[in-house]
Amino acid sequence: MNKTLLGYVPTQSPIYAIHPFVKLFFLLIVSLFPMFVTAPEWNMLLMLVLILLMWISRVDMRTLKIYVPVAISMGSIIIISYILMSGTHPEYQLIARFAGIKVYWERVRDAIVVYFRILPMIFTMVFFLSTSRERDVIVAMRTIRLPFVVTYVFAMALRSAGMVLEDFQIVRQAEQARGFDSTGKSLAYKIRKYVNYMIPLFALSLRRSEEFTNALVARGYAFTGEASRVKRADYVLTHYSFKYFDAIFTAIISISFIALLFMRYGYDYFAIDQSILLNWLKNILM
Amino acid sequence: MSVIIEIKDYSWQYMNTRQAALNDINVQVKEGMFVGIIGANGSGKTTLAYSLNGLIPGQYNGIKHGEVLIYGKEVEEYKSGELQKFTGMVFSDPEAQFTAMTVEDELVFGLENLGMSIPEIRERLEWVTELTGLETMLLKPPYELSGGQKQRVALAAVLAMTPKLLILDEPTTMLDPVSRRRVFEVLAKLKQEQNNTIIVIEHNLENLIPLADRMILLSDSRLILEDETQQFFQNMELISQEGIYPPGALQFFYELKKAGKISDTLPVTLPDASKQLKQLFD
Repeated sequence: MNKTLLGYVPTQSPIYAIHPFVKLFFLLIVSLFPMFVTAPEWNMLLMLVLILLMWISRVDMRTLKIYVPVAISMGSIIIISYILMSGTHPEYQLIARFAGIKVYWERVRDAIVVYFRILPMIFTMVFFLSTSRERDVIVAMRTIRLPFVVTYVFAMALRSAGMVLEDFQIVRQAEQARGFDSTGKSLAYKIRKYVNYMIPLFALSLRRSEEFTNALVARGYAFTGEASRVKRADYVLTHYSFKYFDAIFTAIISISFIALLFMRYGYDYFAIDQSILLNWLKNILM
Repeated sequence: MSVIIEIKDYSWQYMNTRQAALNDINVQVKEGMFVGIIGANGSGKTTLAYSLNGLIPGQYNGIKHGEVLIYGKEVEEYKSGELQKFTGMVFSDPEAQFTAMTVEDELVFGLENLGMSIPEIRERLEWVTELTGLETMLLKPPYELSGGQKQRVALAAVLAMTPKLLILDEPTTMLDPVSRRRVFEVLAKLKQEQNNTIIVIEHNLENLIPLADRMILLSDSRLILEDETQQFFQNMELISQEGIYPPGALQFFYELKKAGKISDTLPVTLPDASKQLKQLFD
């Protein structure tokens, strides 16, 4: 098993044959797809494709369960903001009224459209994080010749996030070992007591940054000055080669995106009024 | 052997502190020597290590008196990154010094900073992974390794840069006895095969003594004892007063000497101790 950003993927997974750049390119481009698609059934199809890709990549599908609460809470927020708090719109078609709240078809439709736009974006991100290691992100960034300092700062940010979480666990356990227990206490109490965590965490972060700077200096790295102008060999990149199928995948992703834009703006595909699902739903509700 | 470190009347006081962290230090270290630095917490050991690597005064504000010369040149006269080409430093918390996502990236980071070519990096990587036994861990994230493995990675990352002068600040503090021994095995190999100058700050003397050519004792910011290892540990009274606890065998012979049972030189290593014990019984 190899550890990825979101879990573990078997070493035999075909995803490791793909160049990290292709994975990053997939994330950046495919997550844009839903922005140009309003008909929810197409976004649902994209989600199915993403699930299929996860299955092919041998991602443990059980990890997807942790996103169910996210999907539910996101759906709830959209329903509340779009449908229950939509206000009065005489120009819209009223489909129901209860407890003084007017429910309009257009607002229900928009809520569904927005919801099914966000979900595939999250799925794309989950696919990327489930199949990529930290190193893949850095390699992808270096492949497109981003300056070393940019990729390095990004890597440090990834690493420090992990360190802060680890420190948080240590501080939390230390507090619990001294009898601090917030079980059954009110939310306000818990928030107040979180200060107990924040102060030592802040102090630890300061110490960590000092140690980290020392480690960089001790290994001859400098962000400025003559040492920063040393021509660096990128050893990590020697492990990766951009193969013919990487080029094919990159082309497929690019062509799909161009085709999507062409069909959307040239032929008005993927629009709301062409949605079979929304038309069917409208017939039921109206 | 030429002198590579020369510290003359050196004092350092951190900004906004009342007392100097180091006071009137005078030391010379010759090339190829293995020097152990001991002393209670707060005695100035880490400050001395940082002063040799240029972290002081480079990264810290404070008042400096005297001179710290590495290869005859003041540490602050070296350009950024220049001193680090031949001075490597391993810190006590290995995790705090990891700068990369995999062990391999960690090991090559310093080499890339030195501007080495890919074939040179590959060669150094092979050498250092074999030396430190990290061949099977190259693709693992360093922070997922055990404490001993982490410290070996930290050590390897510095060794890969083949510094002539290697400074280790309490490298085994967080390790279990087995991992501790493995770190010292690597240092022993370096001493035998590479002729590096090695300075180790360490509380655990069991592993340090057999390797050290010279020992330095710091107390309250001052250097109070410096000598060849064998001679150094003949001053057991002073060492004990400073809260340093030498290995059991050495203490045992010291007790015998105090009781007037022996008059010989105290044995500092286990083989010497067993030899002396055998002679006593004979």
